[in-house]
Amino acid sequence: MASNVITVNRDTRPGYMPIIYGMYLTLRNMFETLFVKGRSATIEYPEKKRNISGRYRGVHLLTAREDGTPKCVACYMCATVCPAECIYIESGERPEKKIEKYPTRFEIDLLRCVYCGFCVDACPEEAILMSRENDLVGESRAELIIDRENLMHRGKLAEVGRGYHPTDHDVRRPVRIAALERLKSEHGIVPQMPAARR
Amino acid sequence: MPKCTIDGQEIEVAPGTSVIQAAEQAGVRIPRFCYHDDLPVDGNCRMCMVDIEKFPKLQIACGTTVNEGMVIKTQVTSPKAKAAQKDTLEFLLVNHPIDCPVCDQAGECYLQDQYMDNGLHDSRVEIEEKINKRKVVDIGPIMLDAERCVVCSRCIRYEREVTKTNLLEFVNRGGSTQISTYNGGPITHEYAGNLVDVCPVGALLSKDFRFKMRVWFLKETDSVCPGCSTGCNMTIDHRDGEAYRFRPRRNVEVNKSWMCDPGRDLYKMIGPDRVTTAHRFGGAVAPASEIVHEVAAKLQAAGANSAFLASPRASNEDAFTFKKVAQAVGGRLDFRVGNPQDKVNVCKDEILQREDRHPNTQGLLDQGLGVTGVEALLADCKAGKVHVLVLQDGSMLNDPGVAEAAKGVPYVAVMATHQGTHLINAHAVIPVAMWAETDGTFTNFEQRVQRFKRAFDAPGEARPRWEVGLDLLERLGQPMNAASAGDVFIEMAVATPAYADFTHRSLGPLGKSLATANKAQASA
Repeated sequence: MASNVITVNRDTRPGYMPIIYGMYLTLRNMFETLFVKGRSATIEYPEKKRNISGRYRGVHLLTAREDGTPKCVACYMCATVCPAECIYIESGERPEKKIEKYPTRFEIDLLRCVYCGFCVDACPEEAILMSRENDLVGESRAELIIDRENLMHRGKLAEVGRGYHPTDHDVRRPVRIAALERLKSEHGIVPQMPAARR
Repeated sequence: MPKCTIDGQEIEVAPGTSVIQAAEQAGVRIPRFCYHDDLPVDGNCRMCMVDIEKFPKLQIACGTTVNEGMVIKTQVTSPKAKAAQKDTLEFLLVNHPIDCPVCDQAGECYLQDQYMDNGLHDSRVEIEEKINKRKVVDIGPIMLDAERCVVCSRCIRYEREVTKTNLLEFVNRGGSTQISTYNGGPITHEYAGNLVDVCPVGALLSKDFRFKMRVWFLKETDSVCPGCSTGCNMTIDHRDGEAYRFRPRRNVEVNKSWMCDPGRDLYKMIGPDRVTTAHRFGGAVAPASEIVHEVAAKLQAAGANSAFLASPRASNEDAFTFKKVAQAVGGRLDFRVGNPQDKVNVCKDEILQREDRHPNTQGLLDQGLGVTGVEALLADCKAGKVHVLVLQDGSMLNDPGVAEAAKGVPYVAVMATHQGTHLINAHAVIPVAMWAETDGTFTNFEQRVQRFKRAFDAPGEARPRWEVGLDLLERLGQPMNAASAGDVFIEMAVATPAYADFTHRSLGPLGKSLATANKAQASA
């Protein structure tokens, strides 16, 4: 089958300039890190921390209602959408008739999790969110399978703040609007919402 | 045979076929709520509107009979029919609570499916404006949620026509109409589970299955109920080697769309208290192959002084290999503990259940496993004439006669599925698979051979009974050329002329009747 063949010219020799330029960059960074204040390429972690995005996808958390019970209704949407299959839920009956279901067990295996944030997207109740916590450590694998209570009371949440949430459009909106306008003006395309599939 | 055209496709149907059935045959599924294949037509939901040429208005597909030359346009080709269906759906959803996240029906709900196919409208009613009805009403084996109900009356017709108990009825009028039992009393009959299947939405839900599992996680495997000699076709819904529920599978000639509650409850038997390792007297665990070898050696030594009790719970394949083993050593053979053959065709009620609580009594009769007579066999055991007794099912030891007789036998080998005190006196216990864990066939009371399929693996060292039988045959020096249940079935069909026309594949999903096959042969 014929295909597009690109012929690459490998005859030209680059000479010594690239090597000299590379050495210059390396040495410049080395001396700046050693002697020029504020130009260091590294930071003194964990005393200092890098600024992370407001939409960072860190360790999950479960939100609570006013009475302290989880907002989660155990609909299994997150477990269904999870590509890593790291969410395990068991459900039980809540005495309240309007919201009859709640999770008796809700566990996330953080070692399996790929932090894609699909669970947050899928949640119809805003029950599962992500924090910006990114430095969780454990001494065993079992320790990093975190349960419902742990997810509801993330100690470090106040410190690190909430992370990604699909309704946080503020971050994306200017970029997205610009992209849409460019599509319309340059290509005459007005994107439609995709039709729902079964 | 009237001919009609559905969406441009010409199709010939049997006289009396309704448009909805004809469309189904043509491969078009018309949305519906109140129409059910095995219930009388009511035509109240108005969802199945179709456009029929020369009719001034749209017609309901379920209540219109196909006539010669009808030209029918369904929602696929008629925008008018599609619009009507869409509007009907919007009306039905006016007071729907949209609590899909907590509703067990989600995933198999007609409202959800048809909304995604046809609706996709935004609600014009705020959730606060909707009429509130009773929720989480406990009516025996069922949870009633009147808010989710679409008032299709399927459950009412089921109660009226199938169980004839009339336990459900509409109360109130207009938008406040809801279903109710008399004074909120419980559903008392043994066919309540069908109400859950009949309900197209989440108004009637099983209390047993409630919140156990989301249905889209479940895998379906075609099976046959082992609860009695009726042999209802059913589906095993399972996930990760665990059965979560049984659902009836439609077979007009056996169980229609129905199944009894005792049958549905049998899924609970599969998981717990299983025998997972082979063991000797006193519970000393040994490799299964070692135990089987020991049993074979004992049988070889005992020869004709051995006795075999087959189980009508076992499949035809299991029974055939067992019979072969018995013939190989020339031992006594029977299966009729408790005389199930007298009850095989006796109805327990007017709907489905039969008195014989074994699935395959007829199959064992067909194969001629009743040779010695149970009384004579057990008497020989007691008299010490039998040196080795092989039981095909551990639960036979629950029968006082068998347990008493087994005490007189120096070596009792048992194929067991479940643990229990009855196994104490067994000298060799071989773990075996239950019907859900292997392929096979059962022959029901009217000689209908029906196939069931393996849903998941047996626990631990447990193997299908037919495989244990093949193993024994090989160790006895008479190997059978078979590697699967299907192969065993072919061998069995050769040895049993009545089954000669069948293979696993030719039985199909709904099984085939020996009686009709033989009748056809006789007339031909």
